[in-house]
Amino acid sequence: MVAARTDKIWVGHLLRRAGFGATPEELDRYQSLGYEGTLDELLNPEKVNNRKLEALIEQQDFDFTRIEDLKRWWLYRMCFTGRPLEEKMTLFWHGHFATGFKKVKHPYAMYTQNLLFRDYAVGNFKDLLMAVSQDPAMIIWLDNQQNRRGSPNENYAREVMELFSIGIGNYTENDIKEAARAFTGWQTNPAGFIFNRRQHDNGEKTFLGRTGNFGGEDIVEILASQPATGRFLARKLIRFFALDDPDDAMVRAVADQYLSSPYKIRPMLRAIFSHPDFFSDRAYHARIKSPAELVVGTVKTLQIRHLDGDLPTLMARMGQNLFDPPNVKGWDGGPAWISTDTMMERFNFAARVTGQKFDEIEGYFSPSELAAKEGLKNARELVSYFLELLVDGDVPQSTRKRLIAYVSSDLSGQPATAIPDDSVLDAKLRGLVRLIMTLPTYQLA
Amino acid sequence: MVISRRKFLSGSLGTLSLCLTQPDLLALAAQAANLAPRAGGTGKILVIVQMAGGNDGLNTVVPYAEGNYYQARPQLAIQASEALPLNGQLGLNPNLAGFIELFKQGKLAIVQAVGYPHPNRSHFRSMEIWQTAQPDRIGDTGWLGRYLDLVVAETHGKPANLLPAVNVDPLLPKSLSASKVIVPSVDNVRDFRFRTDPRFQADRQAQVAAFKDIYTSFKLNRPNVDLLRQVGLDANEASDLLLKSVRSYKGSVSYPANQFAERLRFIAQMIAGGVNSRVYNISLSGFDTHVNQTRTQNGLLKQLSDGLLAFQQDLEAHAVDKDVVVLTVSEFGRRVAENGGRGTDHGTAAPLFVIGSSIKGGIYGDSASLSYLDQGDLKYKIDFRCVYGTILDRWLNADSRQILGANFDHLEFI
Repeated sequence: MVAARTDKIWVGHLLRRAGFGATPEELDRYQSLGYEGTLDELLNPEKVNNRKLEALIEQQDFDFTRIEDLKRWWLYRMCFTGRPLEEKMTLFWHGHFATGFKKVKHPYAMYTQNLLFRDYAVGNFKDLLMAVSQDPAMIIWLDNQQNRRGSPNENYAREVMELFSIGIGNYTENDIKEAARAFTGWQTNPAGFIFNRRQHDNGEKTFLGRTGNFGGEDIVEILASQPATGRFLARKLIRFFALDDPDDAMVRAVADQYLSSPYKIRPMLRAIFSHPDFFSDRAYHARIKSPAELVVGTVKTLQIRHLDGDLPTLMARMGQNLFDPPNVKGWDGGPAWISTDTMMERFNFAARVTGQKFDEIEGYFSPSELAAKEGLKNARELVSYFLELLVDGDVPQSTRKRLIAYVSSDLSGQPATAIPDDSVLDAKLRGLVRLIMTLPTYQLA
Repeated sequence: MVISRRKFLSGSLGTLSLCLTQPDLLALAAQAANLAPRAGGTGKILVIVQMAGGNDGLNTVVPYAEGNYYQARPQLAIQASEALPLNGQLGLNPNLAGFIELFKQGKLAIVQAVGYPHPNRSHFRSMEIWQTAQPDRIGDTGWLGRYLDLVVAETHGKPANLLPAVNVDPLLPKSLSASKVIVPSVDNVRDFRFRTDPRFQADRQAQVAAFKDIYTSFKLNRPNVDLLRQVGLDANEASDLLLKSVRSYKGSVSYPANQFAERLRFIAQMIAGGVNSRVYNISLSGFDTHVNQTRTQNGLLKQLSDGLLAFQQDLEAHAVDKDVVVLTVSEFGRRVAENGGRGTDHGTAAPLFVIGSSIKGGIYGDSASLSYLDQGDLKYKIDFRCVYGTILDRWLNADSRQILGANFDHLEFI
């Protein structure tokens, strides 16, 4: 199976997972680097010059006090960044430390939290956990602002263990109460994090079997050093990047990197993208695309240069509302992305992207132009070209045949008897791309 | 919380895709289109309302005669003068005016101090326990999923009814995770339609036909392909069916202007329109009131009560009210003592509500003690599986033992 797929295919696979897919032009460049070269570049985002993206962002004149602008800003980054893995990890951390604007209500705090996730994208988890514990949006989201000496609020203490580090089953209710005391006085004001000494509980605490006059820093340190944290992160990273149902051996291999590095995310990612299971039929076109992957991947593959302001709303209807995950556990991902409702939204996103409404504006999708540029002459060539472009040609033979029949029919569905005029051809090409975008394979990264 | 379909895929459907031929599927599609609409009085329906986040029970059904309540909650307690009296001991939160009306009509049952042994205070684990009704292990199926597995008839290994249940929420709860069916989710029926370019209306049919052919015969030996294929076909079929039933609905009852009420109206439209579903799921979230509880919880309880009152009136106007029972659930109640942020942390037992024209209204069970606590939390008196068992046996006519794995005492609200 592995041998049957070329390095070229695996580079595309890697870019769909470690990034959001690629434009044909980007794909050419990465393919010339080879798989290892591409992986090196992706894993070291700080070495990639990203000035082009920053200039593009500058032009848009986003207002970071408006949540709609914030969503579009992030979508621009995902679509046009030169550092795809950095952006993908930012999305991972947003889902991991899931914080919702609905409650935080300060767009700028959501923005600075997002910058934090990007700064630590492939960095040190202990440092990130510390920074998140002192992040204003998080402090508001999990109510640490109200966590005071003598009347602790347990919200952050519980979730930092259950969802952010060691996972359920590795602590007691008493550990939660004691950790909550350690985080008392960790507050925020408009300038950022503040340590409110008067509200901090200076007493002795017993946490995960250790006793001391612990502060929040100690809790973070202890949590980061637990092997359970490495396993928890490893499984979550593998499910996010590689496959739904990893074997224990793969989880162990990735978790080992966490403790030996120690606490670094970059080697964990390298272990995932180099693991044999990443190159198996269980991984290739087998993991369901998140709405972000679907939407951004489409923009890139079809080389759409102008972003429709509605894209974040469409993503939300597919189940991924940026800056507003469904709850503190984030998006479950995998099969949970798929329901009758979200499937219909995906079908209609395809209709929208390929729809005629866009053709007056330069930069939107134009299949006729593409077909002319590629010199595609007949239905078979058209179907082959778009299947290759969108899904590596990875469909059953019956699908290919049926698509050819669709393109060869006229607008009333009868086999075409005459050469269609340009507007009919354009409509059929848009219909073709729409149908390919509704295929099961297109929902798979 | 969200369904794992692994079991489903490795089980029935995995083999299904190998043995189903195209003529079978076409026959099934025709059958689904001709499904006999549900006639009034013929089927019993459960609407389950998830109050997500853990609703504070003590400020919902207020023990206003208890000094301990006021001692534990100097800032949060609801004064006896404000509560809507149920009897000399208990009153409802003042925002539950709709519920008091239903209570007076004998259409609201309050089950007190509902919980389960060894309570878990994690949102996600506790929700899973309520949704699977399996406190001791994490199962793959939900309690209503197992009910559907028992009652949904199959033709050629495929469920005969496309809509045995409908989830009116973006996320499918684990309660509806089944082995034989994938419960469809539809939270906005207006957008639930296969769209094509309006300028080429004729091509719509060509696209829909190509879509159906491709999906019906789409086989690739990969994870998730069968799931996508099945849900894609279901989505298309369900869309036709639901749009039809919603179009036939005529309503005179006015619902409050919020998303929860809109979704309740959609459920009423499906019930009145003859959709043949036994179970509807809907949720209202935001009950995780660690800070400034009063404003948040009051607003949510008002939405809950106003929405469900309108829903009940709508069902009555369509003469289908006797077919429907509503059950509210929440993953846990909250700590007895308030915290320092005018809120409450995760707790244990809490009351729940059962609503409908076919139930016996009243208060069931004793209130939890406010003096004998377990680590600051209420001790439950009624296992939630007693409530489920009562509904399964006495309302849905299913064998609760098969679904819950044991016999639980019945309550008398049905």
